[in-house]
Amino acid sequence: MLEAPALQPRAALVISGLRGWYGDFQALFGIDFHVGEGEVVVLVGRNGAGKSTILRAIMGLLARHTGKVMLYGQNAGALRSSERARLGFGYCPEERAIFASLTVAENLALPQLLGPNVMSDDEIFELFPNLKARARHLGGQLSGGEQQMLAIARILRSGARTLLLDEPTEGLAPIIIRQIEDAITALKRRGYTILLVEQNLAFALRLADRVIAIENGLVGDQCQVGCFESTERRLSRYLAL
Amino acid sequence: MDLLLSYLTIGLVNGSFYAMLCLGLALIFGLLNILNMAHGVFYMMGAFVAWAAVTRLGIGYLPALGAAALGIGAFGMLVERLLLRRTYDLDPLYGFMLTFGMATAIQGAFQVEFGSTGLPFETPDWLSGLIDLGFTLFPAYRLWVVFVALAVCLGLWAVIDRTKAGATLRAASENGVIASALGVRIPVVMTATFGIGAMLAGLAGALAAPIYQVSPLMGSDILLVVFAIIVIGGMGSIGGTILAAYCLALIESVTLAVYPQATNFMTFAFMCIVLSIRPQGLFGIPVLRDHSFAGLSLPAVSDVGAERLSQMTRIAVITIIIMALAILPKLLYPIFLIKIFCFAILATSFNFLLGFAGIISFGQAALYGTAAYVTAYALKQWSAPPEVGILAGVAAATLLGLVMGALAIRRRGIYQAMITLAVAQMVYFVFVQASFTHGEDGLQNVPRGVLFGLIDLRNDLSVYALTAIAFCAVFFGLRRLLCSQLGMMFVAVRDDERRALSLGHDAALLKLLAFGIASCCSGFAGALSAVAFQLATLSGAHWHLSGEAVLMSLIGGIGTLTGPLAGAAVLVAMEHFLSPFGAWVLVLQGSIFMICVLAFRDGLVPRVASIWTKVVRDRLLPSFVAAEPVKEVGNS
Repeated sequence: MLEAPALQPRAALVISGLRGWYGDFQALFGIDFHVGEGEVVVLVGRNGAGKSTILRAIMGLLARHTGKVMLYGQNAGALRSSERARLGFGYCPEERAIFASLTVAENLALPQLLGPNVMSDDEIFELFPNLKARARHLGGQLSGGEQQMLAIARILRSGARTLLLDEPTEGLAPIIIRQIEDAITALKRRGYTILLVEQNLAFALRLADRVIAIENGLVGDQCQVGCFESTERRLSRYLAL
Repeated sequence: MDLLLSYLTIGLVNGSFYAMLCLGLALIFGLLNILNMAHGVFYMMGAFVAWAAVTRLGIGYLPALGAAALGIGAFGMLVERLLLRRTYDLDPLYGFMLTFGMATAIQGAFQVEFGSTGLPFETPDWLSGLIDLGFTLFPAYRLWVVFVALAVCLGLWAVIDRTKAGATLRAASENGVIASALGVRIPVVMTATFGIGAMLAGLAGALAAPIYQVSPLMGSDILLVVFAIIVIGGMGSIGGTILAAYCLALIESVTLAVYPQATNFMTFAFMCIVLSIRPQGLFGIPVLRDHSFAGLSLPAVSDVGAERLSQMTRIAVITIIIMALAILPKLLYPIFLIKIFCFAILATSFNFLLGFAGIISFGQAALYGTAAYVTAYALKQWSAPPEVGILAGVAAATLLGLVMGALAIRRRGIYQAMITLAVAQMVYFVFVQASFTHGEDGLQNVPRGVLFGLIDLRNDLSVYALTAIAFCAVFFGLRRLLCSQLGMMFVAVRDDERRALSLGHDAALLKLLAFGIASCCSGFAGALSAVAFQLATLSGAHWHLSGEAVLMSLIGGIGTLTGPLAGAAVLVAMEHFLSPFGAWVLVLQGSIFMICVLAFRDGLVPRVASIWTKVVRDRLLPSFVAAEPVKEVGNS
């Protein structure tokens, strides 16, 4: 018999019918999409469209949400967020949320280690050289860029293969953005599955395989990133004020 | 010199107990954001477990120590799993009240079983005798206590500071949500932490058993000292907490050597000094995690009844109130009703502060007690007329309240509760020591006198009328106040202090004013009680009464004006009808407290009000109104 086409990667993450609320206010109205294994998917959209909320709901951090969150065929939709992390999600929040009272080394040591994919300290310091010299410092003493690197490094240390990154470039200097981009490119090459929320469209399109536009808590459009120009034009509708 | 040194060694021993209790409390507070009022009870239970293990089971001292630590630790975990867990989604105030109820119930149960006198506990043979330290002879057992406490505290500090488990605890305390997203099982960490805190308290209690006697009350007063130490230390670091505990105990022991009367007073006085200079505490980080009342559903001004009643309704309501007040003494004892009104005024002051100014005060009893003493003293010693006595009492309470308020408003939330508790305890110790209060006896047979030279208060009915009118005055006065612009400014500061500041309101002044008004009410209640019951005693100033005021508000409905009256009625009735059962009243009160927090949070008045709107206004009235026209059609 014919084998499945090798070009179509198997889905790592499948989201279906995801709805979410902040108190009585509904923010997500049934989101459906998937992320293939090893694929980098970027969520774009205006402020308040629900991009970060999607990541929070996937991670189980939204107090009230319904719908399916399948990671490699396992439904994580009803689990506590600690159990979702143990399934293999790595979440890097928008505010970075470095533990200010823990040292860099302790921040890195904190996550639960998940089997064979754990990245060693050496590999992490190779990816983010800045962190090495800072290992004994408290998280609260790091610069914004270092905090962002630590926030990404922290989830790599856990061995998570599916990364949820919320605006990793926000508020950072161009040179730091460059470093973050290099790191994410390296991760992509290593086969990590990445779901990225990003306002910086140029940055996003350099990394992304596919872009999903979110509008008013729904998926507005999605397209493969082929020609940079056409994609940008197509997406501008969802970003323009 | 030698004498001073030997006093210092006493300080070292007390400091060991304080350090163990503070450390546990601080860990629990840091992670669970709950001020564990049951910590003193854990300490007491630890002593009892050790006592029972030695005297009843006949096992040795060391195994008994282990049994106390592990037993109380396990008990703590059970409590966290079964009870506290239910309050995590709520305001921390509820956890505080839940543990307060639990402490009351457990302490009551031990009093029922063991009475209030202490039980002796033998020092084990191998630790009896004295050890010569060169400068002083030191009882071997006390040296052992210091050794164990230091070993445990420093060991725990090392674990928290150096190990991965410790890092997990610190991370979870700092940001539980993100720790959870990194795979940390927060509920497990919480249970373990609470268990460790309880274990430390149990161990401290077991260690204390041979030094102090084993008694159900042994944990009740030490808890307040520990609160004061935590406020002083500032909970910024574990080392700081331990250091603060030992320093305070040393200061205490020096006071004991120099001026013994002020011993109990000293820690609290020191707390006041530290707070006025460094509100975050000696080792605290500025603005750590003082919560605002985000999880508490506090009323908007409109809920108070800003809606204008029509003239007819107003007359009807007033008529009904007057008739009810006139009929009540025919049905119930006037003294019983007087008590309800006095307590209702007291509870109203707490409820007004929390509900409309966002200030949590656990020290209202001190104000109540102060006013009671001053009024009683004026009436008895100076033969002042009752109106002057009451005025003097209210003035004294208001002044004291302003001092207490000035300290309390420097922090928010649970810290505020701790500060007011500690200040109140300081006042209580003054009353214990001062001669004019006559100690345990109190001021008795206070003459009631003749009010305004017209109304003879020797008649119970006229005192009843006085307190009823007083309650109405407080109730309608506060209601009017809350509908005024000042009331709205209070609520604005409660909801968001910074925004209120940015609008040009002096938040600190407003909070102080609210505290002053509430103190005035508490004092009024105390002064009335001195006249009505013709006595003023220590129990009127004890923090247990503050707890009852909170309970009344909780039963009636926090943030309502009518709630405290309902709550006071329930509580006074309970005390009245359950008095034959003695110490069981405490058990019952504590249990009701817990049930209220767990299942009945909104309180009687809001519950009844919602039933009223749902059943009567929305269902019965419309059908009644709808039925009328049909009838008329039939007639015509």
